[in-house]
Amino acid sequence: MVKEDKLQLLRDILLIDDREVAQAINRRIETITDTIERREKLSEKVDPIIEERLKLFVEEIPLSLGPVITDTLKKQIAESKDQVVEALYPIMGKMIKRYIQSEIELLSENMNRKVNDTFSVVAVKRKFRALFTGVKESDLMLSELDAPNVNEVFVIQKGSGILLGNLSHTATVDKDMISGMLTAIKSFVEDAFEGGGQDLEAINYELYSIHIQNFHTYYIAVVISGTYTKSFENKLENRLLKLSKSLSPRISTLTKEAIDGVLIEFFKKWRVQKK
Amino acid sequence: MEGTKKIVLLGQFGVGKTSLLRRFMTNVFEVDYKTTLGVQIKKKEITLPSGKKLSMIIWDLEGFSSVSNTRTSYLIGSDGFIYVFDLTRPVTYFNLREEIDYIEKNYPNVCLKIIGNKNDLKDSSSIEEYLANKNLKVHGFCSAKTGEGVEEIFRHIAFKIGSNE
Repeated sequence: MVKEDKLQLLRDILLIDDREVAQAINRRIETITDTIERREKLSEKVDPIIEERLKLFVEEIPLSLGPVITDTLKKQIAESKDQVVEALYPIMGKMIKRYIQSEIELLSENMNRKVNDTFSVVAVKRKFRALFTGVKESDLMLSELDAPNVNEVFVIQKGSGILLGNLSHTATVDKDMISGMLTAIKSFVEDAFEGGGQDLEAINYELYSIHIQNFHTYYIAVVISGTYTKSFENKLENRLLKLSKSLSPRISTLTKEAIDGVLIEFFKKWRVQKK
Repeated sequence: MEGTKKIVLLGQFGVGKTSLLRRFMTNVFEVDYKTTLGVQIKKKEITLPSGKKLSMIIWDLEGFSSVSNTRTSYLIGSDGFIYVFDLTRPVTYFNLREEIDYIEKNYPNVCLKIIGNKNDLKDSSSIEEYLANKNLKVHGFCSAKTGEGVEEIFRHIAFKIGSNE
């Protein structure tokens, strides 16, 4: 073997692997370059990663950005109260205006009906009442429009909460359960606040009031709707005192039906509203 | 003729008063424990052997550590008490003697029934013996979970009160 051949052989032995590696790297670089430079190939690789990150971002928005947004909004509203009021005013104004308009229409309709009824017994009575009491007829008319109504009457045994009699036109909740719960509420209030053996006398809830009048072994609860005025309360108290005079001596001997009958008789002239 | 009577469920926390009442009213048992706050009131009508109807107004009171701590205004005017204890928790019947003495002293005319609940979890014989040694008679063992004996307890007290009329 000549010297030149020997040198070639040695070069082959030393450099052949490097050449293959270099060729493989070249091929890889070409593939990567191709992937990066060609949009569809790049998106094929990158899109799933971006989608995953986006999904995660959307999921985390309420946690990460929620408090920031709330704080920013609060700050913005606090700093720009006038602008907020300015923006809401027309909307709120319209709503209030519409509500008042409809209420006034209703009121005027009722007033007209009453004025047109000039010669009815009620109207003549009202005129006399205005004459003798000094209260304007228009004021009397207004008070008649939202006059209190007796909706329900319960005669309930003290302590046990057992319903002794009732006058009602509703059939919603069982009357025995109402009287039990009323007694439980009454007992709770009377126990909870140290008032020295005082009795609960009224419960108010938005459009209704419950007037409670206590007697020795029982109490009477009256559910009232409309404007519950002091004068009506007085009238009702007197009526219930009269009722108790009739009931008390025989309450332990009367059946529920008998007490119901007494209540119907007693509240015959009162407006017991039907629902 | 119909009559209405007030029955009060008494017993310590978690003995199953509300579960017993629910089983009796709707024949349902709920695994979730929700403590009763204040009082809840239910009504059930029962026909007595005489044919008369009796309306039971059942007051389910919140649990207590001792009956003497219960709001007395909830107890007055009662016709019957059902005192419930838990067979699996001795703390609910260890002081039963004192509890019953208190009730009998303060409400002598009220019909009282002592009931052991949760008999699906524990055998009642040893507890019955333990209470008998304390001169206490248990009127019934039941399980609100399985429903065993529940109806009988309420019927039993209704019949007893109804027959006293």
